[in-house]
Amino acid sequence: MNIEQVKFNKELIETSRYSKFQDFHNLMQFRVRDILLVSSLYDSYIFEEDNRLYELIRQEYQLLNLSHSPELVQVSSGAEAFKMMDEDRHFDLIITTMHIEDMSVISFAKKMKESGIDIPIVLLGYDNREMIDLISTRDISVFDKVFIWQGDYKIILGIIKFIEDKKNVEHDTKKFGVQSIILVEDSIRFYSSYLPAVYTVVLKQSQSLLSEGINLSHKFLRMRARPKILLCSNYEEAWDYFQKYEEYILGVISDIDFHKDGRPDPKAGLEFATKVKEHQQDIPVILQSSLPQNEKLAISVDASFLLKDSPTLLDDLRKLMVKYFSFGDFIFRLENGDVVGRASNLNELEEELEKVPEESIIFHASRNHFSNWLKARTEFWLAHQLRPKKVTDFSSTNELRRLLIDSVKEFRKSRQIGVISDFSSETFDETTTFARIGGGSLGGKARGLGFVNRLLSDFNIRNRFENVKILVPPAVVLATDVFDQFISDNNLLEFALKCNNDKELENRFFKAKKFPGYALNSLLEFLEEVNDPIAVRSSSLLEDSQGQPFAGVYETFMLPNNNPDIKVRLKQLLHAIKRIYMSIYFQRSKDYIKVTTYRLEEEKMAVIIQKVVGANHNGKYYPEFSGVAKSYNFYPNPPLKSHDGIVSVAPGLGKYIVDGGISFRFCPKYPNHILQFATIDDLLNYSPHEFFALILNDNLKNKINEDDLIKKFNLFEAVKDGTLDYTGSTYSIDNNSLYDGTDREGTKLFTLAPILKQKVFPLPEILSLLLDMGSWGTGSPVEIEFAVNLTVPDGKPKEFALLQMRPLVVSNEIEELELESFEKESLLGKSDQVLGHGVINDIKDIVFVDQKKFDRKNTVKVAHEIAQYNSKMLNNKTPYLLIGVGRWGTFDPWLGIPVTWEMINGARTIIESNFSDFNVTPSQGSHFFQNLTSFKIGYFTINELDEQGFIDWAWLENQNVIEQKEFTKHIRVENPITIKINGHKSKGIIVKPG
Amino acid sequence: MSEFVKNLMSQVKAKNPSEPEFHQAVYEVASSLSLVLEKHPEYRKEKILERIIEPERVILFRVPWVDDQGDVQVNRGFRIEMNSAIGPYKGGLRFHPSVNLGILKFLAFEQVFKNSLTTLPMGGGKGGSDFDPKGKSDGEVMRFCQSFMSELFRHIGPNTDVPAGDIGVGGREIGYLFGQYKKLRNEFTGVLTGKGLNWGGSLIRPEATGYGAVYFAAEMLSTRNQTLEGKKCIVSGSGNVAQYTIEKILHLGGKPLTISDSNGYIYDEAGIDHEKLQFIMDLKNVRRGRVKEYSDKFKTATYFAIDPSVDYNPLWNHKADCAFPSATQNEINGKDAANLLKNGVYVVSEGANMPSTIEAIDQFLNAKILYGPGKAANAGGVATSGLEMSQNSLRLSWSREEVDQRLHNIMKSIHKTCVETAAKYGTPGNYVNGANIGGFVKVANAMLDQGIV
Repeated sequence: MNIEQVKFNKELIETSRYSKFQDFHNLMQFRVRDILLVSSLYDSYIFEEDNRLYELIRQEYQLLNLSHSPELVQVSSGAEAFKMMDEDRHFDLIITTMHIEDMSVISFAKKMKESGIDIPIVLLGYDNREMIDLISTRDISVFDKVFIWQGDYKIILGIIKFIEDKKNVEHDTKKFGVQSIILVEDSIRFYSSYLPAVYTVVLKQSQSLLSEGINLSHKFLRMRARPKILLCSNYEEAWDYFQKYEEYILGVISDIDFHKDGRPDPKAGLEFATKVKEHQQDIPVILQSSLPQNEKLAISVDASFLLKDSPTLLDDLRKLMVKYFSFGDFIFRLENGDVVGRASNLNELEEELEKVPEESIIFHASRNHFSNWLKARTEFWLAHQLRPKKVTDFSSTNELRRLLIDSVKEFRKSRQIGVISDFSSETFDETTTFARIGGGSLGGKARGLGFVNRLLSDFNIRNRFENVKILVPPAVVLATDVFDQFISDNNLLEFALKCNNDKELENRFFKAKKFPGYALNSLLEFLEEVNDPIAVRSSSLLEDSQGQPFAGVYETFMLPNNNPDIKVRLKQLLHAIKRIYMSIYFQRSKDYIKVTTYRLEEEKMAVIIQKVVGANHNGKYYPEFSGVAKSYNFYPNPPLKSHDGIVSVAPGLGKYIVDGGISFRFCPKYPNHILQFATIDDLLNYSPHEFFALILNDNLKNKINEDDLIKKFNLFEAVKDGTLDYTGSTYSIDNNSLYDGTDREGTKLFTLAPILKQKVFPLPEILSLLLDMGSWGTGSPVEIEFAVNLTVPDGKPKEFALLQMRPLVVSNEIEELELESFEKESLLGKSDQVLGHGVINDIKDIVFVDQKKFDRKNTVKVAHEIAQYNSKMLNNKTPYLLIGVGRWGTFDPWLGIPVTWEMINGARTIIESNFSDFNVTPSQGSHFFQNLTSFKIGYFTINELDEQGFIDWAWLENQNVIEQKEFTKHIRVENPITIKINGHKSKGIIVKPG
Repeated sequence: MSEFVKNLMSQVKAKNPSEPEFHQAVYEVASSLSLVLEKHPEYRKEKILERIIEPERVILFRVPWVDDQGDVQVNRGFRIEMNSAIGPYKGGLRFHPSVNLGILKFLAFEQVFKNSLTTLPMGGGKGGSDFDPKGKSDGEVMRFCQSFMSELFRHIGPNTDVPAGDIGVGGREIGYLFGQYKKLRNEFTGVLTGKGLNWGGSLIRPEATGYGAVYFAAEMLSTRNQTLEGKKCIVSGSGNVAQYTIEKILHLGGKPLTISDSNGYIYDEAGIDHEKLQFIMDLKNVRRGRVKEYSDKFKTATYFAIDPSVDYNPLWNHKADCAFPSATQNEINGKDAANLLKNGVYVVSEGANMPSTIEAIDQFLNAKILYGPGKAANAGGVATSGLEMSQNSLRLSWSREEVDQRLHNIMKSIHKTCVETAAKYGTPGNYVNGANIGGFVKVANAMLDQGIV
């Protein structure tokens, strides 16, 4: 398979299961919703049956589980009818009886047509003699059809469906391949009673087939794809329909004696049947006649026979349809008619396919019985998959059998996957499912994962790359009702809201004993299925909703989940869950929520319990590498453009990147151009040389500090584990050269060279595809967290796991901000690497790091000083500009100032400048940046060593000092400074006041 | 400055406008040679200085190549063949966007004397291109190198001009350049140095500078009838140069006490032995950790973090006999020098390039200690290039011991040259003068011998 061709493009969208075969909405575009009944008072009285016509119709609709029963408006004269038209009242169908007040019914109809009104008009007569008279003496072609009322209000249903099918057949057949039944009958009286009955059979049968795991709204939709009935009154009409829709005819029900060539022809039906069979041998034909001797004739043309006068006519019809029109069970037969198996749903079909003799499979496959049977169940996609299989295409019947079974199996499985079903241990399949426990909301993160899961199914991405499986790691979600019950059962709410001491909060929560029983049971069942390491992650209501990333405020815990005693594992799991529940009420989150427009009481917590991607390497559990991919790059270096995206990768668990550690960066569109490492020294100093892994240690007590379980290791350990084989390069000191791979002697480095250069794993292609798909699906740039496990048993595919997808918040303002050329002296600072967009002109306070006093060993102290200024400013509601050195927000104090978001969340614009002696690339992968862009904080990156931008430090030194600490200063100016950022060009300036 | 130098400078500036680096280099050399010029009127008569500052040949050429997007790129290539009086031209190639004629001429000029000092038959040259290797794919670098060599090959050869690596030109680039040369000339020769070990490279290359600095120190000590045995040594840095400096100190019986990196340094009063050196090498080369971890592991050591608020480096403020600055430029200033002297240090051998400031050097010279300037002491690296050429010509690969032996001998020769020259020109024991003049005189005399060419 050519990897290059797997791109996210129009073709992919069009061929996805999502668009073509699932778009039931487009079927039956014409629906009869408003009927105008034009009849004399007397006539309508006959129908009305104590004014209950409307109700009865409605009931009938409900019985048949049809949505939207139509509205009925009744007028008694032609004049009134025309008045309705003049008033622009909308009708889909006009039914008129034989008598209307002011004109003959035919002139009424003619007038309607002549005035250009294009609504179908149906004549409903109720007296046979008068009807015959009318038909024989007048031209009734002006009516779309003529029916006879025989005392059953169901005729109205028949009329409606007849009109709908007639109008929709062309579109629906072309678009979906919806099937049709041709009904040929010229006796008005007969078809008036027969038609509604046939519809009832078809509708009821269709419905009974829609039971497999589909919810109610789905059922309504799928009913639109039920087989249509095309009523014809003569040979020409029938043949016309047949020619047009030959491939999609489910069956023919026909009279034997009807008009052909303008004359009655007693053999018309036989001829029709013969001709049909000549074209399509397998189309079942049912011939009807009131003459029993016609049965022989029917059989002679290979048709079934129904006696019209039989008292069990309708039941017989139903039985025949079930038998021959694929409405019933799939009955496996042999050539001679012997029954060898039977399946009533897809599950059983799969089972039977394993067991039945080859002969039967050949018999059915060559006649496309499988396809037809599936279509009757509106499983068009699967029907389409199985349709073109000719027995002759296969080398052995066994191959055909396997193909059939595999297709059905895959289909069933994949349909399960795209849906978030309720957790049950029977259906939980370790490799595929995403299930919920409890009611309520799933929270932002879980919703995002569910959405990704769905996209993977719909676009058939999971197995698109050879030898690679793309998946969302199987998970269960404890929905918010569990949280609610936990909080209320243990009386925690009031206390938690008021408590300001995190330690007290912890104690109280850990002591809370009550936990919803049903959730406990499900968790236990889950643990029985899964005994690999699991991650316990927060998924709150407010997290990751578009525009509000709470990234990094709530926790994730990892558990080895390998204690032989399942009760211990459950205890550990509960412990982690409680920790997540309590984190809503920690000071940190309270501070965070304070600057948003949300209220703390609104916040609820769902918990995702998900399998950790990775493998056991000598007691350490970790994936070969993890990363964060963004579809929008804020710092693009040519030839890269911002929308080419950027990926940060590090070995081991993703925590490393998320915490702001140094990672290896590349752009998926240019995998061979690595900008981060100009020289070998850069590579040696700035490529990741450590990684996180989960320790698998059996001897853990129940109360564990989850933080201790994830430890940092030197890259050297990865070399020993063999996990660097696909991701490493070797630096040879003797040769002063960097070699791809880990084969040669020398220092091993994490460079992804075998993947990016030798393409041993299609990482850039997968990421490009997912980023494109994600932005299309969410309508905005996205950020994806992923992990890759290459250590799999022989023969199994490698794993690419999607851990998170969230919208990347990018300023949406379209208008370009022109940064007029300013004199350098009038500027406090300038940069061509700026995040954000817009103008900020209300800042008079500046907090900055004193360059003279600063040194890298004191970054932690600097962070605390800044936090103090920040709370002061927050309390006074004073916005300020923050200027510092190194990477803001990194966890490594040597690389920058290790602040958390809450320590600087009052700043309106932040400047990151370079160390005077040390070049640090701007941090990109940490949660920090999510918050910056979401709260629309401007962010300047200045590197004076590389002549990228500048700061007028001297000017800062000369300003009015409000407060001064050991390493930092707070100054204030009389008039505000002006900060201007052009987000599209990533340029920004800070203009001095005055 | 003397009248002569003044005239020379105005000529240089007039002939080489907008090349300030070159002017600076010429000025420094000319000024330090006043002693020599006094003694050798024939140099002035034959206009040696005027000739020596004029490159024998400058080749500028176009280097077009196609990038991965299919777009055509054009860079400029340079090769400055400065002086071949004592051997074929020799000097590195630099690929960096800042490369221009002025910078390369200044580098080439200095190279002449550096190479001469090694006592090996190597002339001086330098070259490169304004190509920026940053962010380029392997394919792009290869195509550039091939295009570059497609022009350069007709001007170089094992007996003509032997380029090496420099900034932006590492093992990978030398490989591509060599491959193209071989293709075009259809010969396998030592036309480039810095080759891979499998195809003509020499052993000891990473060790050479460090070893050389220690050999030089040992020679300096021998002038006072002393050896390195038992001497306390302060070493800065923790890269190749520092690591192998320590290794050689141990070989010769000395006691290294310190190493440092950008965060701080450790002082191990028990001294760094072979086992600890292994730890350092593993720490720095394999695990790429920080020196602080040394003090975590070995309890006899104390870690001192960098305190930039002070304007001296406490590393140089320990009791010791010898100092081996092996980290970076300007790491020993006046105060540091004073501290060193105060603590009894009387041997300074520079493994790094220009680690001592002018004030420091002045103090060393005034105190008449054994100060080996980088030009001489760190010539081990350059010398190994020469040894690679020798092995290529012999079509033999020497063992580590053989190369080490020859390196040792070269450092001895360099030392001898410095000492004899310094004495001859009236400043005995002044290795700075010895190195400057020694390098120059050899070239100048050869130029006299070879006629006006």
